[in-house]
Amino acid sequence: MRVPLSWLREYVDISLTPEQLAERLTLLGMEVKGIERWGADWRKVVVGELLTVEKHPFADRLHLTTVNVGGPEILHIVCGAHNIAPGQRVPVALPGAVLPGDRRIERTEKMGIESEGMLCSGDELHITSDAEGILILPPETPLGIQLSDLYGDVILDVDVKPNRGDALCLLGLACEVASATGATVRPPEITVEEAGGPVGDRLTVDVREPELCTRFVGRWISGAKIGPSPDWVQMRLQAAGMRPVNNVVDASNYVMLELGKPTHTFDGASVRGGTIVVRLATAGERLQTLDHVDSEITDATTEIAIESAVFDPVSIRRTGHRYALRSEASLRFEKGQEFRLARMGADRVAQLTLAWAGGSVAKGRIDTAPNEPIEARLAFRPARVGKLLGEAIATAEQRDLLSRVGIATEDAPAGTRIQVALEPKPLVVDPGTEEVLVALVPTWRRDLAIEADVAEEVARVRGYETTPAHLPDTLMPAFRPSPTSVRDMLRQTLAGAGISEVVTHALVSPADEARLRWPADSSEPAIPPEVRAPDGGSITVTNPLSAQHSELRQHIGASLLDVLSLNERQGRGDVAIFEIGQCHALVDGKPAEWTRVAFLLSGAAEPAAWNRPIRQYDLDDAKGILELVCGRLRLPAPMFAPDTRGFPFHPGRALLAGTAEAGEFVGGRVAELHPDVLEAWDLRSQRVILAEVAVPGLNQPRPKSLHVEPIGRFPEVERDLAVIVNDGLLAADVESTIRRHAGELLRGLRLFDLYRGAPLAADEKSLAYRLVLGAGDRTLTEAEIDAAIVQVRTGLAEELDAHIRS
Amino acid sequence: MDFDTMSSDLHGLQTKALAEIAAAADPDALEALQIQYLGKKGDLTAVLRGIGALPAEDRPRVGAVANEVGESVRAALATRTADLRSIVQVRRLESERVDVTLPGRTIPRGTLHPIPETIAAIAEVFGQFGFVTYEGPEVEDDLTNFQMLNIAPDHPARDLWDTLYVDIPGHLLRTHTSPGQIRVMQSTRPPIRALLPGRCFRYEAVDASHGFEFFQVEGLMVDEGTSMADLKGLLDEFAHALFGPRKTRFRPGYYPFTEPSVAFDVECVVCGGVGCPACSKSGWMTILGAGMVHPVVLQYGGIDPERYQGFAFGMGVERISNLRHAVPDLRYYLENDLRFLEQFR
Repeated sequence: MRVPLSWLREYVDISLTPEQLAERLTLLGMEVKGIERWGADWRKVVVGELLTVEKHPFADRLHLTTVNVGGPEILHIVCGAHNIAPGQRVPVALPGAVLPGDRRIERTEKMGIESEGMLCSGDELHITSDAEGILILPPETPLGIQLSDLYGDVILDVDVKPNRGDALCLLGLACEVASATGATVRPPEITVEEAGGPVGDRLTVDVREPELCTRFVGRWISGAKIGPSPDWVQMRLQAAGMRPVNNVVDASNYVMLELGKPTHTFDGASVRGGTIVVRLATAGERLQTLDHVDSEITDATTEIAIESAVFDPVSIRRTGHRYALRSEASLRFEKGQEFRLARMGADRVAQLTLAWAGGSVAKGRIDTAPNEPIEARLAFRPARVGKLLGEAIATAEQRDLLSRVGIATEDAPAGTRIQVALEPKPLVVDPGTEEVLVALVPTWRRDLAIEADVAEEVARVRGYETTPAHLPDTLMPAFRPSPTSVRDMLRQTLAGAGISEVVTHALVSPADEARLRWPADSSEPAIPPEVRAPDGGSITVTNPLSAQHSELRQHIGASLLDVLSLNERQGRGDVAIFEIGQCHALVDGKPAEWTRVAFLLSGAAEPAAWNRPIRQYDLDDAKGILELVCGRLRLPAPMFAPDTRGFPFHPGRALLAGTAEAGEFVGGRVAELHPDVLEAWDLRSQRVILAEVAVPGLNQPRPKSLHVEPIGRFPEVERDLAVIVNDGLLAADVESTIRRHAGELLRGLRLFDLYRGAPLAADEKSLAYRLVLGAGDRTLTEAEIDAAIVQVRTGLAEELDAHIRS
Repeated sequence: MDFDTMSSDLHGLQTKALAEIAAAADPDALEALQIQYLGKKGDLTAVLRGIGALPAEDRPRVGAVANEVGESVRAALATRTADLRSIVQVRRLESERVDVTLPGRTIPRGTLHPIPETIAAIAEVFGQFGFVTYEGPEVEDDLTNFQMLNIAPDHPARDLWDTLYVDIPGHLLRTHTSPGQIRVMQSTRPPIRALLPGRCFRYEAVDASHGFEFFQVEGLMVDEGTSMADLKGLLDEFAHALFGPRKTRFRPGYYPFTEPSVAFDVECVVCGGVGCPACSKSGWMTILGAGMVHPVVLQYGGIDPERYQGFAFGMGVERISNLRHAVPDLRYYLENDLRFLEQFR
């Protein structure tokens, strides 16, 4: 809310500087978001007196004026307005002046005659809405002074929290200022001179929905003359951010800003049969909003009906949301309106309308609920207040603090119970022997309803900054391992391997998911069921900000491609990134959430340097990363199986990875992407490797615990075998055959060479393995070693038609 | 042959040998000299062969001279061998000289994203005070996200959370990490000290300081007598740990699920409290919202508000990171431009 200090001062004396005042309000919970110097954008605009006003010789619509601005020189200024006459005092923008909007005024020639500056309208200065005429200043305004000295103001932008609807007005904020400074509040004197006949002769009100319109107060004014409001009113409204309209509408807006009471004024002639009916709209009924309605105040209006009502906040809020029709008025209705305000608002609007538009006010008011409630009684335990705030505060001090915001206190009668909580989980307790006070809460403080509210009010008036600080000395909770520890360990490992972490949107484009068509885990027997992503539909946002982000992701891959694309566009082709993130699906009507590790490799793994050639990322890097991840989690190395489905994968360079041991599983896909995918993302890179893997325990506390094997005393031996097989045979099959036949003595197996070419046949390849053999309890004899190797050779020859090169 | 002649021959031999040893250029030459002078068929042996022709009384004297000469040649050979070895070594090392100012062999190094890293930094501080991490779902139900937090369906405070809804009845994308308070209270008993990091969503147009996806860390502490003073003490520790020794302050805030509610400010990290555009000239920056857990919320968590009280706080991870690292634009985080991310190496 914009608060012009000059206006605020009408209700309370302020001796603080604007900055000090802003700080005090902020510390009271009325946060000042900004301080604006009103008129700070007027430079070299001074008060002048018109000496002469004559017709421009070459243009009918222009005038030649001479202006005294208090100096020795008389200025000659050309002006297009028609409301000027000699003797008037007006704002004069001198050559070199600056007006709002950074508009600069210089000496110019207008239709052949030089103009030494400009006479300003209220609109040009942004202080009234009048753009037609020059702003005519009061005749006693001193000549030559800067206009900013005269009308400059300071506007505070105050963020009033939703629970303090009562402070969303100048009078409410004046009360807050008074509570901080000890000054006295001067509420406006609301008196209405009622010269007309009884209001009942002119107006009747029929409230059909008393639950939704709990009070309706109406007043009637006859013989008003519609016109612009006085300049000072326009200036106040303008400074507070409201556009002046006419004297009647302005009176209504003025009261909303002053008292926080939205009211409406109607053209009395258009109130059919003199009756205002308050009812719900019927289904399908079309209604006009107030700014277009035929009961709007026009220049021809003379009869004015004033409505000042209290509506159900929930209904107002729902309607405002449904039709996207939210206004300053609905904002205030939503927060709940004090009952009293209906009467006060109607009277104040009538008073101001009478003052600004004339006419006569009909005697009395229509009032559907004239009984006004009295203050509420709220019981609290001063000791509890202190316990919550962490500091014992004497009862007398608490009473004093509350009295500063108009809350009287008295000793509670015996048997008073304490309201600890309200709906939807009410709790009332018997205070036993504890001291209890009753706070008499003014009707406008609807936010004070439970004991803890009193604690906040005590703390607020005392100053939150007085809260003592100490570290908790109560019991610590039991140890609980962090659910992020495995993820954090993997993040460190992957970053150490040269891959950078990214965090992408969880909300993705359905089009992207469709473009990538990453296959579902459920279709794939090679992925252990324990780690498969649930098979479900996507979860869609029903009110998305854009189609680009309208669905929760089921895979991370498409987002990584987007990151690659963005970086390529910035000229960065070498990209190695990973993300550990949540994926979502709708399973059996419920949301399901799981975590995946995904990484993408593109461009150079090792860029060219003076001491090494460039090396591009390939599928082997991705498999190595997966092996690293498994190793770090103390899981067995993953097994790889070809995935030859084609799109979205390179049919010859895609695999399913999985391990299964002792109930711990890794499963997922590692693949070079199909060129059509790269084209769909408009990527420059020729080869992109993408992996998305389910890793167990990502949301669990710790990786598998470790048991050390004693170091063997007996030496192990190494034997190399070059296995020549058909080129189409998979390495995984050769390896598993070796393992099966080597038996218990095999301690390690490593492929150290892969060879194709002479002297091998064209359809042959040689896989060279190093076998490590040993036994924990003895040194192997040559015979034992030979027997094991013979077994392996025989197995390879029989099962894979392999022969061994020695 | 007499003693003097022989002695003189031996000394001549010595002079010649020493000169040749000194002139030897490599180990092979020294080897040859050793054989030439000290070998079985060497020159010294040859001279000594004439010893038999000397009178018996002269023989020991010649023997002594011969030993002396032999020793000196042997010593010269050894010295020269050592010298030569070191010369060779020096020469080899010299030949191996490299330009040590050339850059090293780069080891590829990834970088960790500032969001999880900031969460980890926050968790480290509170972890020291016994706060343990919990996680809640990103797709929440309306009950836990709002109603159990004392935010009724038509409460005006709902304006504080513009919500993204999903096509599952009664569900939405969590607008804050606060529903985690309910989940923690329902799953454990006091004493509770919990941290809840996570991704949140709001219906919010994207600009330099807003996004529809962002991260928060929620904190919750509940016990008998846990007070606002405990909250202030812990938040001060937190602020000092992340932003260094600077002033902090409590001021009133508003959240439906806390009463009293608090906004926690630290002295502006840009200007140090003098007032600058970054802090709207106030000298203060708000880093989080907090308050004493509302009795309605405690009851929904299954906790008796008459026996227990507690505080909760919630902070925007991006905001903390922005202030720590002077990040000018919120969009940097989810955009993942490597020119941004690699600065966090």
